[in-house]
Amino acid sequence: MRIKIKVFASIRDICGFSEKELIVSDSIRVNEVIDLFIKGNQELSDKKDNLLIAVNEEYCRMDRTLEDGDTLAIFPPVSGG
Amino acid sequence: MKLVLTQKEKIDLNSVLNTDVSHSDGSDLIFIGKVRDTSRGKKVTYIDYEIYNEMAVKELNRIADEASANHETGRIVIIHRYGRVTLGETSILILVSSPHRDSSYQASRYIIDEIKKRVPIWKKEFYEDGSEWISDRS
Repeated sequence: MRIKIKVFASIRDICGFSEKELIVSDSIRVNEVIDLFIKGNQELSDKKDNLLIAVNEEYCRMDRTLEDGDTLAIFPPVSGG
Repeated sequence: MKLVLTQKEKIDLNSVLNTDVSHSDGSDLIFIGKVRDTSRGKKVTYIDYEIYNEMAVKELNRIADEASANHETGRIVIIHRYGRVTLGETSILILVSSPHRDSSYQASRYIIDEIKKRVPIWKKEFYEDGSEWISDRS
């Protein structure tokens, strides 16, 4: 199963990439993917409670199960305008 | 009529005002958001707007549809810039036309408030001595 990960703004700076592909054999939930990235990254861990999540360009909950071909976006609170 | 755009280029107000004009509308209300020169005591030189464009366009369209469904509006135009926007330049323009002004004021306020909550766009302010993501304040 292939999941495309996109990160933005301060989260991109912390992660050091803007896009990545995750290949997993079993089904996986959004919060499990987040935990993978947070592991060993204190700066990201500190921001965990404020992260916003979208799957296929729609906001979603952390417990959503991802499907093959999904795009998961992880980003900080928005600040447009 | 609804028009939603995200663009790097400067916004041409006259061209927006003359797009799809309807004589059944008795008011055009324009909200312009600009880059100001100070932020929390620091001197701002410019702002870089980062955008998740595919999702931002979807959310902007959704917000315009909600405003139109809940208020009596004729024309709604939302244009948000991304990339570098320098001092005094327009970062966002919202135009709401309607038969009567009350609907325009309410719809315009709803649109800007929802944009600030939901649309995936982020400001990075640049100062004379550094820079900061604005979402990092929370």
